[in-house]
Amino acid sequence: MAHRLLVRRIWTLSAKDIRCLPASPATTASSSYSTSLQSSTARVSFLSPSRTLPRSLPHTSRREVSFNVQDHEDFTERVINSQLPVLIDFHAQWCGPCKILGPRLEKAVAKQQGRVAMAKVDIDDHTDLAIEYGVSAVPTVIAMRGGDVVDHFVGIKDDDELDSFVSKIIGQ
Amino acid sequence: MAAFCRGRHRWKRTNVSCLHVLTRNLTGKYDYDLVVIGGGSGGLACSKEAAQVGQKVAVLDYVEPSLKGTKWGLGGTCVNVGCIPKKLMHQAALLGSAVKDAKKYGWQISGPVCHDWATMAEAVQNHVRSLNWGHRVQLQDKKVKYLNLKGSLVDEHTVKGLTKAGKETILTAKNIVIATGGRPKYPTNIPGAMEHGITSDDIFWLKKSPGKSLVVGASYVALECAGFLTGIGLDTTVMVRSIALRGFDQQMSGLVTDYMETYGTKFAWKCVPKRVDKLSSGALQVTWTDTHTGNEHKDTYDSVLWAVGRAPETKALGLDKLGVQLNKETGKIVVGADESTSVPNIYAFGDISEGRPELTPTAIKAGKLLARRLAGHSTELMNYDNVATTVFTPLEYGCVGLSEEEAEKRHGKDSIEVYHAFYKPLEFTVAERDASQCYLKVVCERGGDQKILGLHFTGPNAGEMTQGFALGFQCGATYSHLLQTVGIHPTCAEEVVKVNITKRSGLDATVTGC
Repeated sequence: MAHRLLVRRIWTLSAKDIRCLPASPATTASSSYSTSLQSSTARVSFLSPSRTLPRSLPHTSRREVSFNVQDHEDFTERVINSQLPVLIDFHAQWCGPCKILGPRLEKAVAKQQGRVAMAKVDIDDHTDLAIEYGVSAVPTVIAMRGGDVVDHFVGIKDDDELDSFVSKIIGQ
Repeated sequence: MAAFCRGRHRWKRTNVSCLHVLTRNLTGKYDYDLVVIGGGSGGLACSKEAAQVGQKVAVLDYVEPSLKGTKWGLGGTCVNVGCIPKKLMHQAALLGSAVKDAKKYGWQISGPVCHDWATMAEAVQNHVRSLNWGHRVQLQDKKVKYLNLKGSLVDEHTVKGLTKAGKETILTAKNIVIATGGRPKYPTNIPGAMEHGITSDDIFWLKKSPGKSLVVGASYVALECAGFLTGIGLDTTVMVRSIALRGFDQQMSGLVTDYMETYGTKFAWKCVPKRVDKLSSGALQVTWTDTHTGNEHKDTYDSVLWAVGRAPETKALGLDKLGVQLNKETGKIVVGADESTSVPNIYAFGDISEGRPELTPTAIKAGKLLARRLAGHSTELMNYDNVATTVFTPLEYGCVGLSEEEAEKRHGKDSIEVYHAFYKPLEFTVAERDASQCYLKVVCERGGDQKILGLHFTGPNAGEMTQGFALGFQCGATYSHLLQTVGIHPTCAEEVVKVNITKRSGLDATVTGC
């Protein structure tokens, strides 16, 4: 697992480097949000990662905070290249514990008011992606920051454990 | 961003195809030591075992959707449209009977208990999906390359894989194994059969209840499906052309169908469907001929399930091009004792191969042994004898060894002794259930230690019960061994070790209480 994490780190690092070549934010958007909103959010996150987002952009922050991954491209854009730390919730509809953990994760993420995002990956819809990230049992939660996997856990955690997990991700 | 993503994919694709050319030309070696076509019970077992013994393996799995459009994930027939969902739905039906019995045991159940198909189907389908995932993870863990592609043979060392969209991938392999299994047959000469009927490929994936059902066929697939449909409260009819459970002991088959008739499944014996029409109401009108009287009948059903046999999945494999010999009658691949085909380094096993039992455990074991032989780790061949099976009809039927008819044919009626007993499961007493079809028989050689040739049992949990006796059978158990074995009390299984009335004696074989 550690080896895989290392490989992931190197791969995403190079991907990120290329991604970060001077390119106007306008060319980056291919998903649902408008470019201006995204760029301003990105600027805010970069300048003050620990400050909550200005109240004038509630829609963007709520939309960004928790979302379902659509495909590999969407994952690259909204997770690997995210300016926010991201929790990736690998789940399945046939998984009972996932149904318990899901709402708890949403709660823990919502508490952070936009300082962390959550990407939900249904492993039946995105099997290759799940396999790529070494998911075997579900729920598996992987924390990513700047395209690197920084932490992960498998199985259910209670609210306090989740709050502590999320805080650690943001704090680093 | 978009430009970056596209660039990366272009690089990846070129790189991969370059690699292929490199592998084939420069070194002369193959891409893989083994390529398995088919990701079912057999294919997965074979590929995982091969990887375990150090081979570089790839497995191709692809599900052609059924006529009704049903498709499923990795794991093959057993996991998706066979054993697993069947047993779960059989259990759902058994629980229905248990609830009815419960009242007699003191449970206060107010009002009639109804069954909701959608709840059961979702739960079953979810479990199957978890198995699809489990298999995927296992392949990853065992370092087997998995490709969701439709495989076909180009030559003895080359496999072509096609995506749904038609994109091609070529793989070369030292050895190729075909384990593509079979699919249900549709009757070809009945108008409306294909347009309006479903098969076992569809029944387990229905989101809505099949309603009033007609099951055409009398194989174990037909009887098991009709069994659980009846058990969950649906109006079910089985249409049988000639006999039920062909190939199985016919006395036992009769007991199975008698029980089903007692418990509410309707049987249309010696009837053959002629046509299926869809009415304006959406219901299906089936016209059939009673071959006994010659009369024609009609009735309407919500669903028509064809369980009239299975055909091997060989059409799209390109076998004729390579000269792989098929059995003219069945269309299955002709194989040797070592699973080899008429083409060197191409092997086939499981449901696709001729003369083999269509069972998961035999496919798994054969696959593993084949993998070991191909890697040069072993010479052990698969032993297809003494395989125990169970039919999961409402009254389950477990058996190992020869049927009474087969034993008579091979040894002569005078050289065999059949010990039998009609017994009553203790649990049936309080529940006031009819146990007339709960029966067992042990077919033995008449002379010497009386080696057991076949064991047959109808009753609750027949599968669990027969497994233990299968071990004894494999060890060459005799009737004397049986007599020396002390029973566990109170069970149904103990009646097997206590059996002492012979058919020859003509005495009443009903077991009396202890």
